[in-house]
Amino acid sequence: MKNFKNGFIKENPVFCLYLGMCSTLALSTNLNNALGMGLCVTIVLIFSNLIISLIRNITPDEIRIPVYIVVIATLVSVVELLVHAYIPALFDALGAFLSLIVVNCIILGRAEAFAKKNPPLASIIDGLGMGLGYTFAIVILSVIREFLSTAWVSFYNPFDMSQLIIRIGMPQLENYTISLFSSSVGAFLTFAVVAALFALINQKAKEGKK
Amino acid sequence: MNKTIKLALFLGIVAAISGLVLGIVNYITEPVINQNAVKAEQKNLELMYPNAEFKILDYKDDDGIIIGAYKANDTNYIFKGTAVGYNSSTPIVVLVGLNKDGTIENMVALEQQETNGFGARCFEKENIANLYLNKKSVDEIDMLSGATFTSTALKTIMGEVFEAYEAVK
Repeated sequence: MKNFKNGFIKENPVFCLYLGMCSTLALSTNLNNALGMGLCVTIVLIFSNLIISLIRNITPDEIRIPVYIVVIATLVSVVELLVHAYIPALFDALGAFLSLIVVNCIILGRAEAFAKKNPPLASIIDGLGMGLGYTFAIVILSVIREFLSTAWVSFYNPFDMSQLIIRIGMPQLENYTISLFSSSVGAFLTFAVVAALFALINQKAKEGKK
Repeated sequence: MNKTIKLALFLGIVAAISGLVLGIVNYITEPVINQNAVKAEQKNLELMYPNAEFKILDYKDDDGIIIGAYKANDTNYIFKGTAVGYNSSTPIVVLVGLNKDGTIENMVALEQQETNGFGARCFEKENIANLYLNKKSVDEIDMLSGATFTSTALKTIMGEVFEAYEAVK
């Protein structure tokens, strides 16, 4: 349970460990992409942690990195094929970033730092916690950015992009949107502010303990 | 030495298992992905053969001119071709329909921004009928005077279409 909670605030992979930032910055333009990417990363992370933990005792230490990469690349390809087949709209939106999950350092990082020395169940929980932490981070960024650049936050049915599920916003602000936030500059600005906020929370928590 | 072989063997086994898994997943998802590709093109394909049943064909063009190959009702072929005409910022994209023995039956321009009165004349109904319909080989296709660039691009596409037809028929 502690591993699970760590992933959110204290060891949030994106805001506190600064891992996997490339896809976070690139895909937080809207809520749909963010949730889709978060889900894909979480699934890959859970399964890669599970498999690496299962084979941790028979994997020779010298070649563990290539073995991890083969495992991760396989899982990513499987997820990619499934998304391509069953959620084509998401596949088009994520583009190259879906295959780039292979080199997302959260996944290799967790394999190396956690799964290779912990039993399967703990590894799954760690994967779930870190995956949700990543999703949480990318969703926060996407909500802020989508709101500032369009005055709305919308969520479409991923299986049918013409079907709107939720749309919240402030129509009176529509004339005051900052389109900068939909570009990469906006991503960096938003990220810096939110990361600073997380650092502040963690610092306060530390001082409280003393 | 012994150890190296052991390590190589281990990595080989891991790679073999992952290959097997990928093969299985690909076997399951490939028909669905192809179906989706047809669905995405369905509206355009219906322009050629309304209410037909479409299947995607496995054809890869090394020149990148033919970007889609479909079969309609198991008898007719549809190829999607692209080439740059006079307007280099918007390449021409056309669908070409062939009947069973490789004669052009139908041609529809999906995207083209050629000059009005010059290149764009190639896409007028009358000119399509004269220049392209009922032609069986690229040698029978004439150019349209005053529209050299567009005609050349279209002729290039048609050449590749006939080649693709030969490959998949």
